[in-house]
Amino acid sequence: MAYGAGTTQLTFTVWSYSNDVILDNIKKFEAKNPGIKVTMQDFSWEKYTDVMTARFVGKTPTDVAYSSDHWLQQWAAANWIVPLEDPFPQVKAYKPDFAQYANEGMTYKGKLYGLPYYADTIIFIYNEDMLKRAGFSAPPASWDEVTRMALAMKEKKIVEYPIMFQFQDITPWYIEVFLSMVYSFKDYRMFDDALNPIFDRNGSAAHKVAQWLVDGMRTHKIINPASLETTEIPLVKAMGAGQVAFAVLPKYNLADLNTPGAHAQAGKFKMALMPGETHGTVGFVRFYAMTKMAADRGRDVQSAAWKFLEYFGGKTDGQFTVVRRWALEKGLGFAQLPLYKDPQIRGAINKWGNVTLEEQQAKLAKAKEALTPFWGSWSLEFQKEMNRALLGQKPALDALKASAAKWKEMKK
Amino acid sequence: MTRRAWARGAGTLLGLVVACYILAPFGWVALSSIQPEKELFRVPPQWIPRVVTTDNYRFIFTGRFPAGYQETGLLRGRISEKARDALPALRNSTIVAVTVALLNLVLGTMAAYTFARIRFRGAGALYMFILASRLLPPMAVAIPYYLIVSRLGLLDRYSALVLIHAAFTLPFTVWFLTLYFRRVPPDIEEAALVDGATRLQALLRIVAPVAAPAVAATAAFAFMFSYNDFPFALFVTSTIRSQTIPVIVSVTAVNPDVSFGVVAVTVVLTMIPPVLFAMIFRNYITRGLIAVTTTR
Amino acid sequence: MTAHPAPRARSGEARYAYATVLPVVALIALFTIYPIGSAVVTSLREVVLYRPESTPFVGLKNYAAVIRSEYFASAWRHTLTFAAGAVPLATVAGFAIAHLLNARTRTASLLNVAILLPWAIPTVISGIIWAWIFNSSYGAFNGALYSLGLVDSYVPWLSRPTTALLSVLFAHVWKEVPLTSILYLAALQAIPEELFDAARADGAGALAALRHVTVPLLIPTTLIIVVYETMIAIVTFDLLYVMTGGGPAGATSLISYYMYNSMFTSFNFGHGAALAVLLAASLVIFIVLYMRLLRSEEIYRE
Repeated sequence: MAYGAGTTQLTFTVWSYSNDVILDNIKKFEAKNPGIKVTMQDFSWEKYTDVMTARFVGKTPTDVAYSSDHWLQQWAAANWIVPLEDPFPQVKAYKPDFAQYANEGMTYKGKLYGLPYYADTIIFIYNEDMLKRAGFSAPPASWDEVTRMALAMKEKKIVEYPIMFQFQDITPWYIEVFLSMVYSFKDYRMFDDALNPIFDRNGSAAHKVAQWLVDGMRTHKIINPASLETTEIPLVKAMGAGQVAFAVLPKYNLADLNTPGAHAQAGKFKMALMPGETHGTVGFVRFYAMTKMAADRGRDVQSAAWKFLEYFGGKTDGQFTVVRRWALEKGLGFAQLPLYKDPQIRGAINKWGNVTLEEQQAKLAKAKEALTPFWGSWSLEFQKEMNRALLGQKPALDALKASAAKWKEMKK
Repeated sequence: MTRRAWARGAGTLLGLVVACYILAPFGWVALSSIQPEKELFRVPPQWIPRVVTTDNYRFIFTGRFPAGYQETGLLRGRISEKARDALPALRNSTIVAVTVALLNLVLGTMAAYTFARIRFRGAGALYMFILASRLLPPMAVAIPYYLIVSRLGLLDRYSALVLIHAAFTLPFTVWFLTLYFRRVPPDIEEAALVDGATRLQALLRIVAPVAAPAVAATAAFAFMFSYNDFPFALFVTSTIRSQTIPVIVSVTAVNPDVSFGVVAVTVVLTMIPPVLFAMIFRNYITRGLIAVTTTR
Repeated sequence: MTAHPAPRARSGEARYAYATVLPVVALIALFTIYPIGSAVVTSLREVVLYRPESTPFVGLKNYAAVIRSEYFASAWRHTLTFAAGAVPLATVAGFAIAHLLNARTRTASLLNVAILLPWAIPTVISGIIWAWIFNSSYGAFNGALYSLGLVDSYVPWLSRPTTALLSVLFAHVWKEVPLTSILYLAALQAIPEELFDAARADGAGALAALRHVTVPLLIPTTLIIVVYETMIAIVTFDLLYVMTGGGPAGATSLISYYMYNSMFTSFNFGHGAALAVLLAASLVIFIVLYMRLLRSEEIYRE
């Protein structure tokens, strides 16, 4: 296919989720911008960072890429993606519209590096039917209540292990779920301002969460021991089949759980604010980033990339068109707070969720603190240590201390 | 007599147990591919399916959503469309694997025959070099291979996969066939050469027919390796233009809106080309192995 | 049968020789020299992707760092444990199944076709299937045990270190058994019938025949299988990664995973390259052993 003179070619890398929707969005973008042609290349979500590493190291032409808050540090430090504020100062105008945790998640060294693809919070999901059968009318508001209700369910033989987590050694959700539980406490900070660990102190929020988990698994036996092999999808499948009453999951899973064709218990799932003192939780953001390669290709490519970024993550004709579409069609969360006022969105969300609670939770959500280039590999170590505690190989506090030691080692 | 009957009975029982061990996973996948999603998570499973449906297959072949994945308001059925890439991926995988097998057949046979029959300067060194080339594990060489392919401008093309897979399989082919050719008495070829035939003609007319089992065996090994490769295909393919079936199945299996029934269909489809290939070449494979590893 | 050595090149044959050999060598060289060279060079520098400004030459520092790291020892320990289970199981199972394949019964014919199936699917897909089967909430393995009345609730196989290792071995042996049993079958079928007749004439029963005829003659094949399967066990990655992610609590993290982690999680290519070189070195030992054994097998036969 020969492109006319003056056509700018952009390469866009994504992980494979609803490619048909992405391609349709691309078509609409190209129709609005006749001088720009976009090629999409897709990879498995699990292997996305591996493949992107090879791409960036090999300098394979890539102009716009999906990225995430937990990779931002590595990618920015490696100089693979560039801050948007310098070439496009107009991006700053969007910041007030975005949820706090989303802005934090896309910012490195004070500069904004992307526009959101989707952003979501980690929420507490429960099976309302099981809750009612156990004799409760409202979801738990504290972790003690969670224990109490779970024990009741176990006693009444409603389900053997009412709670299950995605705690496989290497799943990236493990630490996010742990943190979202920590953030529900008032004194939630895991690190001090100098990025030194403080979570291994006796009585810290992290300690309370870790101890709650260990007690739940080993003493009360309300947490399924199979959590140690479980990743997100098997957890959702098991919950949908009626084997889990309480789970802590990213919110888009609620939309999936209430899809009738997919799960036996569809329709029975509801969200509650994260139990705990402050009902705080973790918010995460996936965003569109512009690569250094695109920046190096010159002003034309840069402005084409900006048009692309703004169409997909920003406003077109005053509307967050693409983000709105993801929310309506797939139930993905969004960082763009004005969308909560949109009646169509409110109606769509209420079909599977609770838009009031969701908006409330979004305002209470915090970005993960202390993201560093080595956060990824540290979190794997943290998860391994926590699993040793859950297996009974060491006390919870020792696991936290070991993780803190690893952090100090990696920080050097 | 009773002793032999006992032995035969035990043999049959053991054989059935082993057949069970080998076939059970495939049976499970096949059964799962014809059931609706909700049925797959019963505890305990429905060993004899209560509800049977072709919806999963129909989704892969025609894109029609399985029953039950209705539109919830504006929420479209949450099922991974990526699974539909399984068919083009099968085509990609088969084409690449067959090409690799052919390359091994032609280049590998010729090179092996030369090593076996002709002594030339550097033969020993080159032979050792070929054998020693498979040292680094795939994950370690994935990025260097990626860089090579990228510099050659072959990313996301069949040729990238064909080159990498051929480079990985030729050493074994050359080694295997060299051993084999060395055992074949050279008298008939010598006679033909005296009569004026070239080495190539000797190879084609005299040796190849005799060596057919071993050659077919190495082509089959090459096909299997190429078809089953995951780490290299993962890195050098980026669109469905060249993505192979292992890549597509693993992508589909980790999508948040995955349907295990649909994944089961992609696995069933994955098995068809190599199983056909293995059944056709099965005898060659065994005969080839016998020929090389034993006396005749 | 003797191996016939290559006669001296005839005139003009040298050109033919190079023409048929060099394309293969060139292709292999392209994908060997550069990666090995790149791995060695990278292993001698400090290459951390998120510190791209400086990649200084550091000599053997990377090697020292990875060898002294706790993961090195534990990864090797887990790898050797895994191999200590996988190799004997794959070998013995292959030996037994080969006998079943050799029989002239209908079960044998069924088995002869079925045995190729695990070999015919990619390892990563077999990992997906087995992870599904061993799943503690809805897996078929637990389902079968439950339906047969052997357990009264599902067992979390992959959530405890010991049972996780056993489950992974179960899946790994399943994948390896086609090759080992076919190799043994080939060797079995090559044993001349007369030897068995002679043994029977001497009054030996089936077991004695096995011990005095079959096993000794199959020792070369056994050695080949043991060395090959050990090499496979050392580099195995996909299956475990999909089934357990190296867990629980790192119980199934092998050396290949440590290398992958260094490169793609810690972004430390210097360490990853050093590990690759070390791994390659250990494989060299095995390949040399492999070659020696095969040559001795040829001598043994003659």
